[in-house]
Amino acid sequence: MSSPIATWSAEGQERAQQLLALYPDKRSAVMPLLYVASLEHGHVTNEGMQQVAELIGVTATQVRSVATFYTMYKHEPVGRYLVSVCTSISCHLLGGDEVLDAACGAAGVEVGGTSEDDLVTVERVECIGACGGAPAVQVNYELIEGVTDIKAIDLIDWLRNTTPEVVLADELQQLFGGQKSFDWGVPEPDGAIAPVPAFGPYGSAEEGR
Amino acid sequence: MTDPILTARMEANRTDSNTIDRYLETGGYEVLKNALASMTPEQIAEEVKASNMRGRGGAGFPMGVKWGFLADSDPKYLVINGDESEPGTFKDRQLLERDPHQLIEGIVLASYALGVNRAFIYIRGEYPKPARRVQRAIDEAYEKGFLGDDILRSGFSLEVSVHLGGGAYICGEETALLNSLEGRRGEPRLKPPFPAVEGLYARPTIVNNVESISNVPWIVANGGTSYAAIGPERSAGTRMFSLSGHVNKPGNYEIVMGMTWRDLIYDVAGGIRDDRALKTWIPGGASAPWLVPEHLDAPLTIDDATTLGTMLGSGAVVVMDETTDVVKAAHSIVRFFAHESCGQCTPCREGTKWLQDILERILRGEGREKDIDLLLDVSDNISPGLTWPPAMTTICPLGPSATAPILSITRYFLDEVKAYIPVSEVAGV
Amino acid sequence: MSDTTTVSITINGVDHEVEAGQRLITAAEKVGEYIPRFCHHDKLEPVGKCRMCLVEVEGPRGKQLVPSCTMIVNDGMVVDTESEVVEKAQEGVLEFLLINHPLDCPICDKGGECPLQDQTMAYGPGESRFIEPKRTYEKPIPISDVVLLDRERCVLCDRCVRVADDIAGDPLITFNDRGNHVQILTFPNEPFSSYFSGNTVQVCPVGALTSVDYRFRARPWDLEVTPTVAAHDTVQSTAEIHTSRGKIVRVYAAENDHLNDGWLSDRDRFSFAANHAPDRIVSPKRRVDGSFEDVSWPEALNTIAERLGGIAPERVGAIGGAHNTNEEAYALGKFLREVVGTNNIDAQLGDGFNAQLAAAVTPRATVDDVESAGAILVWGPDLKETLPVLYLKVRKAVKNGATLVVASPWRTGLDSIATSVVRYRAGSGQEVLRKLAQGSAHEDAAAALTTGPVVTLFGRASLSEDPRLAESVAAYGRTLPDARLMPLLTRSNVFGALDMGLAPDLLPGRVGIEAGSAGLDAMGMLGAAAEGALDVLFLVGSDPVRDCPDPALAAKALDQADFVVAIDAFVTDSSAHADVILPAALWGEVDGTMTNLEGRVQTVSAAFPPRGQAQSLLEIVRDLAAIMGSGDILPKDTDTASSSLANEAPAYAGVSRESIFFESDGTGVVVPTGAGTQPLGYIPTDAAVPVVTDRFTLHFAPSLYDDGVITRHAESIAGLVPDVTVRISPRDASVLAVSDGASVVIDDFLTLPVTIDADVAQGSVVVPFNQVATKGLIAASAVSVEPVRGDV
Ligand SMILES: Cc1cc2nc3c(=O)[nH]c(=O)nc-3n(C[C@H](O)[C@H](O)[C@H](O)COP(=O)(O)O)c2cc1C
Ligand code: SF4
Ligand code: FES
Repeated sequence: MSSPIATWSAEGQERAQQLLALYPDKRSAVMPLLYVASLEHGHVTNEGMQQVAELIGVTATQVRSVATFYTMYKHEPVGRYLVSVCTSISCHLLGGDEVLDAACGAAGVEVGGTSEDDLVTVERVECIGACGGAPAVQVNYELIEGVTDIKAIDLIDWLRNTTPEVVLADELQQLFGGQKSFDWGVPEPDGAIAPVPAFGPYGSAEEGR
Repeated sequence: MTDPILTARMEANRTDSNTIDRYLETGGYEVLKNALASMTPEQIAEEVKASNMRGRGGAGFPMGVKWGFLADSDPKYLVINGDESEPGTFKDRQLLERDPHQLIEGIVLASYALGVNRAFIYIRGEYPKPARRVQRAIDEAYEKGFLGDDILRSGFSLEVSVHLGGGAYICGEETALLNSLEGRRGEPRLKPPFPAVEGLYARPTIVNNVESISNVPWIVANGGTSYAAIGPERSAGTRMFSLSGHVNKPGNYEIVMGMTWRDLIYDVAGGIRDDRALKTWIPGGASAPWLVPEHLDAPLTIDDATTLGTMLGSGAVVVMDETTDVVKAAHSIVRFFAHESCGQCTPCREGTKWLQDILERILRGEGREKDIDLLLDVSDNISPGLTWPPAMTTICPLGPSATAPILSITRYFLDEVKAYIPVSEVAGV
Repeated sequence: MSDTTTVSITINGVDHEVEAGQRLITAAEKVGEYIPRFCHHDKLEPVGKCRMCLVEVEGPRGKQLVPSCTMIVNDGMVVDTESEVVEKAQEGVLEFLLINHPLDCPICDKGGECPLQDQTMAYGPGESRFIEPKRTYEKPIPISDVVLLDRERCVLCDRCVRVADDIAGDPLITFNDRGNHVQILTFPNEPFSSYFSGNTVQVCPVGALTSVDYRFRARPWDLEVTPTVAAHDTVQSTAEIHTSRGKIVRVYAAENDHLNDGWLSDRDRFSFAANHAPDRIVSPKRRVDGSFEDVSWPEALNTIAERLGGIAPERVGAIGGAHNTNEEAYALGKFLREVVGTNNIDAQLGDGFNAQLAAAVTPRATVDDVESAGAILVWGPDLKETLPVLYLKVRKAVKNGATLVVASPWRTGLDSIATSVVRYRAGSGQEVLRKLAQGSAHEDAAAALTTGPVVTLFGRASLSEDPRLAESVAAYGRTLPDARLMPLLTRSNVFGALDMGLAPDLLPGRVGIEAGSAGLDAMGMLGAAAEGALDVLFLVGSDPVRDCPDPALAAKALDQADFVVAIDAFVTDSSAHADVILPAALWGEVDGTMTNLEGRVQTVSAAFPPRGQAQSLLEIVRDLAAIMGSGDILPKDTDTASSSLANEAPAYAGVSRESIFFESDGTGVVVPTGAGTQPLGYIPTDAAVPVVTDRFTLHFAPSLYDDGVITRHAESIAGLVPDVTVRISPRDASVLAVSDGASVVIDDFLTLPVTIDADVAQGSVVVPFNQVATKGLIAASAVSVEPVRGDV
């Protein structure tokens, strides 16, 4: 009998084993494993959920029940860059809705849509904890604070033209940001390589260029 | 003015307060060394209790008292709530990013006091950078022997790891957070049993906010009574306030409670942008009913806020100036709660979305005068009597939170709501 | 003052003394204060989700709204269920539930028995204030062969999820999405394949889950309800037949807390279609020149009477009777013993064990004993596959804290919750048992069997297992603390049949016959017939060619016997050999009683008369006896059968349909009642079964859906028969050099694909019994396995 994740990359398989060992109860690894599965399959697929289910010994239905509860698990393909625009109250007050419109316009999509070149998806999100630097935007969950509608257009164009391998928050902030919630301190070496949070164990963080 | 407790290091070291070198150089982990060498777990718990610090996650429950409820049966767990998702709130993010070792030292002290050997830091999924910084700090702490087996040869061991959320505000509610950490849907549990008795994996568990635990090193170092002496009696200590909206200087401010709202908005946050007039503000995160200029001179304490029919909640103050369309603002908040409802209980699942739908219809110019009563009555069916603190037909307070903006705009800005209703729809016309 | 078992509470100003520890909603209902609810269900853990049951309870901070379904009553509790606040909250919840509901009551199967509809009448607001567009979903989607899901009607009460997960252990239907988009769903393209899926339909408070069989078939107000038992296995769950215009439209579970707790297996629930199957035999038939022709009852019976005339009684035998009522079985036994004069009677088909052990083992366990056991040993058939509702009861016992030991050559449904699993090579059970008993191995299992009462559920793990092992296990079970024993035979009313004397060595009422005067058992009769030593064979609802350990022998026996009478509802591989076929009434068409595996006697009732000219077994043998001139020996109807068996059968003294009804609240009477002892108190002894040493031993075990007559004729479940593969251990696979999916030849004639399965004991081969694909395989202790070369 072969492992349910035999089709995953070597790193993905290794991370899965680490995650399974991390918790007192394997089931706790469902959420991190779903991120790894997203990375392997591009988004959360039925196959990915079945694999995760088999890894932890629950039913695929139970995994799907979890995977559809949280907004960061994408069940449809998304672009290489997931642009999330906040329109919750503080961002709303300072122009978040205009930033959203501008980003959609630049990408040529409706809210939630993916551009024709499959590069950019623009979504509306609720508060991402950057209210002091409103309006805020994330690209593959890497944050930019103090974005204007004009900067949002520049951001989309830049993503399409430069297609960065790694999305680095400090670089984006420099190029397209403004007012910050607080001093960010030393620049962060790690960034995102996919629309999955760039957090070491999930495999999307990579040393900057 | 008292010196800041939580932000002193990051203010003094604007670039690298997150590194272990800087932390050690500025006295970090000294408290831990001393405590493990010379204090019993009970003594630490005593200091925390004496500090009178009330939890900074929103509910304001005294931390030392909560610790006292932890059932004595192993294994037990400590879970740090870093889900911070309440609109307007961004203080924990700063503590995680800029001083993760302060949190870790607090976790080790708390775990030692509680007899816990396994702790989790639950960080919202949209915070990969804070999570990375915390993870790096954890790795450093392991390396230096502040975490792991037999910490500093004290015989005490502790494992800590970061768990990233998946995008769900409700996971800030502590029992939903535990479900999420167990690999389930983030649905709040019925209480009782409370987590201190049956929490993570049905074991005794303490859940504390990032800011709450970040205070522990200072409290243990300086004594609980010194902490209790700061600020008003029932709102002791310093506290992080997140200011946002139409103020000149948005940001996090660590202040001593007891000052007035006027002080906070006009002094600390530098007043309203472009010298406009203040219209209203949200005093404690999106869940809180709003205040208006007549309340500017009320003191900023947990109890005074209750008297005014609102709360300090998560310490998020969102300021709106005279140009604000309060109906749109209310809609943004109601939409938030409808989007974030876990959906398990009927009034919240159906009611919050219905409120959102009605507001959207009103904003489209399709409102009817009776929609105002309808908004209030639907709100009443989620939070009977629309009193404070809110009564609930729901399992958890998320549903009732969605009624706060409805209540606020109909109470203070009824004319503006009515202005959206076409003349033909107003009764008698 | 209230004592510790009761508390006093005040509801709407009236004081009540209520049982402590229960939920407020239940306590209130018991004293006549019904609180509306959707998610609450007596047999499920409370979730407090629908919020319909909110009431006001006085607390330190004044009156507070609380869900009465989660609140446990405590002394001095003051409750208001009718205050303005409560009424407003309840109306509010109902309005919330209705805003997105399609209100399609006129075309909804639940219309007329729907709490949402009823409560809208009772508590609901008048006109709708909701003018926004409703949430819509794709209309009913089939989530399995038997269940449909209509998400628009769902009130998200979580009942189906809890039934599937907590009760059945099959978490295949769950909540998906969040907030206003929450919906109940199964995994895409994975069916809701649970043996208990029908229970979700029964507990669904609205018409969101409906059964394919029932859809658009009837309206609740023209249903007739007939209380009975589900007779597919020996648990005999208490049930109801719902008929409309003379046809069964559905079967519901009844709530019998001593037995099935309101649950049924899907086989119990959905097999009823067999009653109405188009190919049922509805008139007597006689074989003429190799084919059957319809004849009248008198012609058919005369033919049989003539053939029996002057024949030596010991050259006559009868196999079957396990599907009939006690009264029918009693009449059959009387016919054979007193009219024909033979002890060649057997209701078992060579798949059971010592009839005296099964009928009269002491001390015998009840199902309640299982539920409250300290420890349970299951050494017999896989409960999930054979006695599914008993499987639920064992799950419940484990939840209640019982430790569980399962011994089996292959994975069983209970393994995942067992404290200890003893996996043994088929054929080596006696050796394993000896070590367990001596403490020289399986220490975990032994340690898990120390807290009494220890209930031992024993039987034959598969048809290829030596039946005497069950006796050894029972003997061991008797040595455990505060021991109780439950024999596991699985077929329908086989315990009732044995109690009525349908065994070569039993008389009615658990009275034994000396070994010397005992008749032949089923395999003995087949053997005798095959050798020409038996002339007349009655097949009473039995199909030995498909359903006994040696199909070849059975086929030969039926060929060789001079005269075969089949009393059956269908032409089967066996009844096809008959000289005369008599159309038999089925379950649902006969009144009487049945006896389950704990000795519980319950009433069964006819929902309508037998199909066509079919008759009950009692009528058939009564009329046959009359033609043979012995009409006065047999009871004339069910009631006389019942009173005569109560007089004649010691264990059944005082048990009648009336006494069951009046004394047991419809839950049945366990015989012997009270302190009564078995007339034959059978004490098992260790049988010292020899260990089978062949290269491959066979584990030939039934699964819930087999190719049995009833399953085959019940349309909705017929498709659930599993794919047939041969399972072998990874080690044996590598020795044989076969890979997963490759073909092997079993016993030189049966080619089947292999599944490599780590849960198979090394050296054993697992083959499912009674499937089309395994037809003809003999249930011997050993088999040969050869890879098909060139097929890898
Ligand atoms: C809907 C809801 C959301 C919450 N969100 C958070 C949150 O994001 N962060 C947090 O620390 N506490 C949050 N809480 C409060 C927690 O349930 C809990 O009281 C807190 O984490 C306890 O920590 P403390 O005692 O240190 O404040 C929330 C509560 C509710 C009802
Ligand atoms: S109030 Fe809303 S978020 Fe809270 S339990 Fe109910 S549905 Fe979930
Ligand atoms: S019956 Fe109590 S909340 Fe549903």
